Amino acid sequence: MSDTRFVNQRAVGTSVLPDEAIPLVEGDGRFLNDIKLAGMYHVAFLRSQHAHARILSIDTSKAKTLSGVIKVITGKDILGKVEPFRSMPNRFSGGESVQHWLAVEKVRFCGEAICAVVAEDRATAEDAVELIEVEYDPLPAVTDPREGEKDDAPRVHDTVTNNYLIKREYQRGEPAKAFADAHLVIKRQFRIHRKQALCLEGRGVVAAWREGSFPLTLWISHQLPYVVRHYIALHLGLAENDVRIIAPHTGGGFGQKASIYPEEFLCAHLALTLRRPVKWVEDRFENMVASTHARDQYIEVEVAFDKDGRILALGSDIWVDVGAYSTYLWSAGMEPLQTGGLMPGPYKVPAMRYRTRGVATNKTPVGPYRAVGRPSASASLELVLDEAARKLSIDPAELRMRNLIPMEAMPYRNANNLVHDNVNYVPCLKLASAKAGYEKLRAEQKELLSQGKMRGIGISCFAELTGLGTTTAVGPGTLLQPGRDAVTLRLETTGVLTIAAALPSQGQRIMTAMRQVACDELGIKLEDITSMSNDTSMAPYGFGTFASRTAVFGSGAVIQAAKELRRRILALGAFLLEVPVEQLTIANSEIQTLDRSKSLSLRAMAERSFFTAKGIPDELNKGFEVTSFYDPKHGSFAGGAHIVAVDIDTDTGQVSITRYIAAEDIGTIINPAVVEGQIIGGIAQGVGEALMEELIYDEEGQPRTVTLADYLIPSAIDIPNVELHHASTPSHALGGFKGCGEGSIIGAVGAIACAVVDAMSRRGGDLHEFPATPERVLRGLGVVT
Amino acid sequence: MAREQRIEVTVNGRRYEKTVPVRLSLADFIRDHLDLTGTHLGCEHGVCGACTVMLDGRTARSCLTLAVQADGAEIVTIEGLRSEDGKRHIVQDAFFENFALQCGYCTPGMLMTTIELLQDTPNPSEAEIREALSGNLCRCSGYQAIIKAVQVAAEKMQK
Repeated sequence: MSDTRFVNQRAVGTSVLPDEAIPLVEGDGRFLNDIKLAGMYHVAFLRSQHAHARILSIDTSKAKTLSGVIKVITGKDILGKVEPFRSMPNRFSGGESVQHWLAVEKVRFCGEAICAVVAEDRATAEDAVELIEVEYDPLPAVTDPREGEKDDAPRVHDTVTNNYLIKREYQRGEPAKAFADAHLVIKRQFRIHRKQALCLEGRGVVAAWREGSFPLTLWISHQLPYVVRHYIALHLGLAENDVRIIAPHTGGGFGQKASIYPEEFLCAHLALTLRRPVKWVEDRFENMVASTHARDQYIEVEVAFDKDGRILALGSDIWVDVGAYSTYLWSAGMEPLQTGGLMPGPYKVPAMRYRTRGVATNKTPVGPYRAVGRPSASASLELVLDEAARKLSIDPAELRMRNLIPMEAMPYRNANNLVHDNVNYVPCLKLASAKAGYEKLRAEQKELLSQGKMRGIGISCFAELTGLGTTTAVGPGTLLQPGRDAVTLRLETTGVLTIAAALPSQGQRIMTAMRQVACDELGIKLEDITSMSNDTSMAPYGFGTFASRTAVFGSGAVIQAAKELRRRILALGAFLLEVPVEQLTIANSEIQTLDRSKSLSLRAMAERSFFTAKGIPDELNKGFEVTSFYDPKHGSFAGGAHIVAVDIDTDTGQVSITRYIAAEDIGTIINPAVVEGQIIGGIAQGVGEALMEELIYDEEGQPRTVTLADYLIPSAIDIPNVELHHASTPSHALGGFKGCGEGSIIGAVGAIACAVVDAMSRRGGDLHEFPATPERVLRGLGVVT
Repeated sequence: MAREQRIEVTVNGRRYEKTVPVRLSLADFIRDHLDLTGTHLGCEHGVCGACTVMLDGRTARSCLTLAVQADGAEIVTIEGLRSEDGKRHIVQDAFFENFALQCGYCTPGMLMTTIELLQDTPNPSEAEIREALSGNLCRCSGYQAIIKAVQVAAEKMQK
């Protein structure tokens, strides 16, 4: 058999237009809220108005009598009928939280669901919610993790002492000695507030009883269909094969739709008990208070340097306000453990220690969100590097260059026990500096400063571990090792190829990427390949889309499966064309002899193999459907360097970004335009994180940012034009791919934070609290107190 | 006050007569009563712009407009942008060909705002495009590809 491929142009590496986007641009997308089934009921939730309170009584009598109301249920009604969410076991667990789908006895955050109303339409359900009367006995609320960990603090859960849902101490090397012997030790505090993913489409579900072939079908706006299927079966006492999960078009995920929440599971329970389809769609208020939040860290970081600015040791103390419950599936460990563990980023750190805690508070639970932990970890370290550079009179870019892990040192095991290999940290920084005209940028800055203007320049180098195989847990400390995923390739009888996987896209164009890879591997024309990635009834097992893994897993599995499918196609082709298999290849959807003297279309072969198989030996006609599981074993580090210039308005404290240069190594690029969109999109969320986005709570745990008028995300006038460059090197994974969905937000937060502080430091100011809102900037400059 | 009211509207060239609750938003009317689900709801506060439709030739936030306010109006939604022979609007093509959408949730509003911008300002500067689109939030793209798509559409529409 020949591996020669007569493909004139490889699809991988080309900005193939994504057919999957056509329905979206034509208005035919089918998002969750667009689904309408006959006889469908609608659900609305009554949510807690208190951060922490005992529920004394619930009176649903008026709500039940409202015309159009079908059912009103409370937490007590489902006790013992469904399994509540207990914290996922975590090696670093401090104590267990139990989250009922509807609050029982106590509410623990504003927005926690207490009652569900089922009605003929949503408006009626919401009217009925207004008629429910709840008597509360308010309790003192925990609203700050450093207060909450004290012995005399109120407890969010009776069983969780000091409110520690997570606690870990880590040490490697001899940090104490390094700090004692250091030429310079820099200590800084870094505080970043709460934010959220803010998917433009909220969560939602349509749960249907006996719709089609399955007892229970769930359309759910979610990133992990099979995981939902597994847990819905577990919690409702069903068999997995009783359940079909479909993720329709999904209006953003970013990790927020990778957790399991009570509302969707409750709707499944309602569909089963009412034997009717039910729908719940989160409105924006609900999304602000009942979908997971992110970040919210206090970090104290200290770094020991030698006289040349080389890092000798890194230490940190971290408090994360993880909210009221351990986020189901991922545990409360996401932000606390990744902030501590991943702080070294792309830098050589010979010794490190950290103490990190995830402290329960009476706020919305914190869950996974784009680049969990790392933006804060990275920014706090980068700000230290800048301060060291100032103290040692070394240029910040040069200081970073001295500390980056160079390719020649790889594979390199860092003090956090992660191995870096095949990643261009140094070339990324060099490329970004060259494209930025770094020295000129500094000269301009000097000139502007002399004119009394405030210009700052920030640099951030980052590492992102992507495409994690089975040897690395995605949820640190948990048993979750989602390191395998599968695709099924099926050559249909018309000769077109179907790729099926459970790797839904929230805009990442996963289906297009897999088509491109399959096109190259199989010689099948792009227009002859379709892909479906959102339906458990069609797809082989898979964990889904999160942790910058999907393109790596989907593509790797396509490559593996294609190898076997190609073998089968060529073997039958050889029989039908009566030529030795060594003389055959597949190109342009045809089996061809290498000299192109004979050919057979895949359609003709596929039709023959199915409809007129007489005479074909069985061993050549085993079916043209191949499923392959792919496990890259290890993860692949992606990385990059961002350089940012900002101007600060000295009167208003407003920060504006004047230049943004990014150089990234994301491995072999499948679709450059898609990748560009991922990276720039990540930067935009980083701009929000560094400068604008903040979920504000008052001291009683009341959320103050519950609409998009209160919670600001970047608009088109807030985001700079990003100058994006690539310094790619292939990974060890099949195809050389790395993930690229998350990394850029890490670089953005670090680089912008450094640029702001760089500008402020020229006026004797400093900033330890982010986002860098105008008010904080003016305070940091001493202009206001 | 009456809880329901009869309205007549033209949506994407088709005339409808419906009796609607007076509290019904135009967005819910379009989506739930006419089954035109291409218009999306992102915030229901008039901030995100996803629900933007054309109302008598100008963009309007359908989440902040009541259905009864649209009585007698002519409305265009994303479903009405294609020509009768099914061809995409120039702006739709420009968005598709320039990768200007990821999840696609903000796209209907972005298209409407772009069409209005290019009606008023056929050759907008980048700053003018950013300003015009600043009332339409996109969480995925970082806007860069959208700006490019608007520029390409502007060029094509002038031809």
